[in-house]
Amino acid sequence: MKIGVYFCNCGTNIADKVNSDLVAEAVKTFPDHHYFVVLDFICSEDGRLQFEESLKGEQPDRVVVAACSPRDHENTFRRCLINAGINPYLLQMVNIREQIAWVTESPVVATEKAVRAIRGSANRVVLQKPLEKKQLEVSSDALIIGAGPAGMKAALSLAEAGRKVTLVERTPFIGGLPVRFEDLFPAMECAPCMLEPLMADLLHGDYAENIELMTMSELVELTGFYGNFIAKIHRKPRHVSLHDCIGCGECIEVCPVSVSNEFNSNACMRKAIDFAFTGVLPNAPSLMEDICIRSKGDECRLCKDVCPMGEDVIDLDEVASVVERRFGSLILATGASLYDTSQLSGLGMGTLPDVYDSMQFERMLSSTGPTGGEILTADGRSPESIAIVHCAGSLDEEHKPYCSGICCQYALKFNHLISEKLPNTSVTHYYRELVLPGKEAHAMFEYAVNNKNSTMRRYLRLSDIAVSCDEDRKLHIDCSGERAFSDMVILCPPLVPAEGSSELAKMLDLGCDSFGFFSELHGRIDSTQSTIKGIYLAGACHEPMDIKHSILEGMAAVGYSLAGLQPGRIVETEPTTAEIDESGCAGCHLCISVCPYRAISFDAEKNISRVNAVLCHGCGTCVAACPAAAIVGHGFTSEQIMAEIEGALK
Amino acid sequence: MSEKRDFEPRIIGFLCNWCSYAGADKAGGMQRSYPANVDIIRVLCSGRVEPQFIISAFAKGADGVIILACHPGDCHYKEGNCRALQRHTMLNMMLEQLGITKERCRLDYVSAGEGEKFIRVIGEMVETVNKLGQLKINHGNGEN
Repeated sequence: MKIGVYFCNCGTNIADKVNSDLVAEAVKTFPDHHYFVVLDFICSEDGRLQFEESLKGEQPDRVVVAACSPRDHENTFRRCLINAGINPYLLQMVNIREQIAWVTESPVVATEKAVRAIRGSANRVVLQKPLEKKQLEVSSDALIIGAGPAGMKAALSLAEAGRKVTLVERTPFIGGLPVRFEDLFPAMECAPCMLEPLMADLLHGDYAENIELMTMSELVELTGFYGNFIAKIHRKPRHVSLHDCIGCGECIEVCPVSVSNEFNSNACMRKAIDFAFTGVLPNAPSLMEDICIRSKGDECRLCKDVCPMGEDVIDLDEVASVVERRFGSLILATGASLYDTSQLSGLGMGTLPDVYDSMQFERMLSSTGPTGGEILTADGRSPESIAIVHCAGSLDEEHKPYCSGICCQYALKFNHLISEKLPNTSVTHYYRELVLPGKEAHAMFEYAVNNKNSTMRRYLRLSDIAVSCDEDRKLHIDCSGERAFSDMVILCPPLVPAEGSSELAKMLDLGCDSFGFFSELHGRIDSTQSTIKGIYLAGACHEPMDIKHSILEGMAAVGYSLAGLQPGRIVETEPTTAEIDESGCAGCHLCISVCPYRAISFDAEKNISRVNAVLCHGCGTCVAACPAAAIVGHGFTSEQIMAEIEGALK
Repeated sequence: MSEKRDFEPRIIGFLCNWCSYAGADKAGGMQRSYPANVDIIRVLCSGRVEPQFIISAFAKGADGVIILACHPGDCHYKEGNCRALQRHTMLNMMLEQLGITKERCRLDYVSAGEGEKFIRVIGEMVETVNKLGQLKINHGNGEN
């Protein structure tokens, strides 16, 4: 076997410490046929040309390059091999600059160390095999779960880029949490007005035909892998055709049954067939099967008969279905919900009247909410005083130790909206810390501070605050020995993962952090990638965040999806992955248990494990774990590493 | 570096590509000398290091072996360093039985930014093995 050993002087960087003549002498003593070439700056344009010319002339079977760190130029030199018609994986680099020349005082010692390292690599490279990148056809379509700001933005952007998108939403409407709000921080912008264009584009815009919206639907099974996922989606019957319904609401008028409306914090009633709340999109009501009297055997068909659009709009016999979709990437935009404030002892949630969490208060402020936007106590009065408790469970080891980063801002938004609606009502903010990042939020703070009716009171621990109630339904707030009265208390709790997140994570085998948010691949450089390739995280499903950041993350996830999966493009996978030798595998499952990427599955028929090269990251943990030594770590085989050890120790 | 000693320890270092190998490169960038006794073998992940590699290194003449991994929680492959730690703990028990004191086989954590720490850990390891002296494996009789 003919091995080319190329030595880079790197100007004087290496040459000053490592004597290439002595290395050349040593190389002559290596087994196999070696030739030795010294070049200056192989990475430079001239150097690369000389290197490639030499490779073309010599046609070596294997190549060793003793130069800088492979982290610098391994890919550069691999490309040179390709240009010279040699498989790039037949190269082994020796790091004689960063790890020898630059860190060894004595040239004699440095040269000796370089010889050992080059001998190790020469020993290893003999065992290296040509490797080929695997090619795979992929789907560039996407599935998005959650039609809140992040999911909608992602769907629209992918659709604009020509991708087919399936957007799965659990509720009967799109828009997520913000569509339930009246105004938004920090600019007191009308929430529905801001979201309306986005939602209209999604439903009827230029690219809407690329988006398949499934409301009242949930993902129930996911198989496959990056580029080739298959999902099963459970669709609850809406009983109203999104295509044909014009949203006139005549069916609602005639419906004989009512139930409290969960989308209005159960503070008002809705009919069995109804909108979640006024103004929702898609503009069609949905029928709650379990509330409809037909579920109790009644033959009622008032809604169907009254529909002015004909017989086909309301389908009383529609049943749940499971549909299958194939796609390449999955974006999770399942959002967050509020921490259950009834867990906070002494604050009165669920036990005292007129104690609300911030979502209930958002609905009260909303013109589409249970009070039509009027701030009213449970017995219908305008409150004279309102207390807002920030950090209700945040920064608190007993509840959630983190700060959600949005509550102070919406609490100050509440201040603004209360004083607009009720100019004489006093507002007291009980806060632990004030968190108002960015260039805009300070305006709300200044407004609150300058509001003659508002007071800012700092507290240390949540246990310093106790809410109680006297016979006149007046609420008392005791805070560090001082008592104040209030007609209404609003609790601002931390954001927590949306209901069903842990079940979804379990189904997808996705990691969650200790708070139950989906784990990111990396908290900073890959925060919108999940731990599974091709599954992206957008918005508050992985960390509390505001609308702006959720929308940005929707775009970020789209970026990954667009960059990685293009129509007609073949995805190439690195060949330095693990592969299981079927004849050696005993089917013990150990590799499956140590794989951090779910890249290994079990073939029960053959009783063997199998590595999916697309999902494998090549870490080699399974290779080291296999008790039968039946797994090959391509590019880093046990034999190659052993040969390197042996060569270095000779 | 001081003049050559009578005994120059031979140490094999398994460095994971993403943290500790990068940490060694960082030390290189700082251009500060450290003992040249550790021959570095690059692996993608410390979780790739088979116990057999270590035993083989000792059998072929190494006086010490050092495995450098990403810090816990920082593994590029999520948890390979935890596997490395588990294997190292098990292996140390076995090495003791073979008469190889556990100080000859060290596992430590060096991040990509910790050039200083890399230099310190290498210095300590060389010093430790230097004190222990050359490893003599007497085919089952162990190290005396």
